[in-house]
Amino acid sequence: MAVILLSIFAGGCSMFIIRSYPEVIYNDRQPLISVTYDYGEIEVHLPLVYPRYRPEQIAFQVYSRGDTTFPLISVMQGPLDEIVLFLPHGVLDVEDSTNLIKIMPQDYDFRNFYVPFKGIGAGRIDLPVNAIDFKPLIVQGVVTLAQNDSTLSGVALSVQVFPATLARTKSDENGIFEMGIPGEFMKSPNIELIAGSNLIFKPFRQKLDYSNTKGIYQDVRIGPSKTLEGPIYLTNKKYVHFRENPDVGSDTKFLLDKGESVAVKRMTRGEYFGDIEVLLQDGKLVVFDGWVVKEDLTLMQLENIFSKESNHEPVE
Amino acid sequence: MNPWNRFIICILAVSGSTLHAQIALNVNAIPRQVEVIMDGISIGETPIRNQQIIPGPHNFEIIKDGYAPLTYSLIVNPAKAVNLDFYLNPIYKIKFTTEEEGLTFELNKNHQWSDKKIRLELEAGEHILIVYKKDKVVDEQTILVDEPKQFKYFFKKKLSD
Repeated sequence: MAVILLSIFAGGCSMFIIRSYPEVIYNDRQPLISVTYDYGEIEVHLPLVYPRYRPEQIAFQVYSRGDTTFPLISVMQGPLDEIVLFLPHGVLDVEDSTNLIKIMPQDYDFRNFYVPFKGIGAGRIDLPVNAIDFKPLIVQGVVTLAQNDSTLSGVALSVQVFPATLARTKSDENGIFEMGIPGEFMKSPNIELIAGSNLIFKPFRQKLDYSNTKGIYQDVRIGPSKTLEGPIYLTNKKYVHFRENPDVGSDTKFLLDKGESVAVKRMTRGEYFGDIEVLLQDGKLVVFDGWVVKEDLTLMQLENIFSKESNHEPVE
Repeated sequence: MNPWNRFIICILAVSGSTLHAQIALNVNAIPRQVEVIMDGISIGETPIRNQQIIPGPHNFEIIKDGYAPLTYSLIVNPAKAVNLDFYLNPIYKIKFTTEEEGLTFELNKNHQWSDKKIRLELEAGEHILIVYKKDKVVDEQTILVDEPKQFKYFFKKKLSD
């Protein structure tokens, strides 16, 4: 006992203090981690209306991020009042309205169209009402000056079914124009393209027949053609008499509209003798000669073919 | 639309486009009340519910005294929610003793001591103990740590012998 006490006294308290290793010793064991996902569903509601009649079937394709190469889904449905599409979570662009639903009525007279929309991760998307309607009828072409084939910009064009004007436009800097009119007029026999109402010439008029097509390419050649030789005069009023002979009482061949071109060959003190062009129904131009009272004609100035009443750009 | 059509439409759908929507992050851990650091910022202690994150790569650090810290990198897929469960490895206090003379001990090829008695803090699991005498390996064994305990070392023959 005495020896033990002596040892403790000699060794001090340090003999009971055990050193600790200065750091934790890891064995780098693989941690146990569990990762699970909860996936939602996207429910797209697309209400539809049918202003004309209902096609038998409608195909729907959904695209993400404007990539129309691969549809996310393709569905064929009857003409319901509301289409509901289900998509998996996370397939849509949720930042921008780059997701698209392509709607394709299975009927030639109906238009196909895209409905853009912004996506969500999961949940319900209610899209605005869309109309399943006829394809628009298109007319396009180039406006040129018949005298020299130069393109004309700023020429007013319209499509009319008397008395209604269905569409208006002006030719662009390259003389190109395009107009669309509602598809419901596809069977109408009285659709007319009118060009050049803002020019000094008689406006160009052409019937448009959409009975077998949805698009018509119609070039517009305006003004006197190259075949008219000599100084060109334009009639300056409506109902100008174009007569067989200059003498009073001579037969009137035609009543000319304002802006008709007359290529003058000879003249007397009060009358001009010249040629006019008449466009036949089959599209052919036929030249007639005759007499017009001098006061009814004005010399054509090609420097500015836009009428004074209009504020249009000059000829290109 | 009947449920079967709905199922087919969902199956037909092709996933894979990038999504930047918010995803609900839920984190559980054993033990409870563990601090979670995501991308260098503390997002609180577990259990964490409905923390909104965006899809893409994220780094998680899980820290609690008495447990081995855990780091985990995850590319979070577009989903409604992602649930993470972490099981932390405890650190046990071990009293290491031996009666043998002149030995040097090495744990996991990295930690050395020559004391006959020493207190160690060891992560739960297996550790490799190598024993040297005069720079020669005289023993090698695997220690399983699964509770706080006293470990008394007895000299054995080297396993390779």
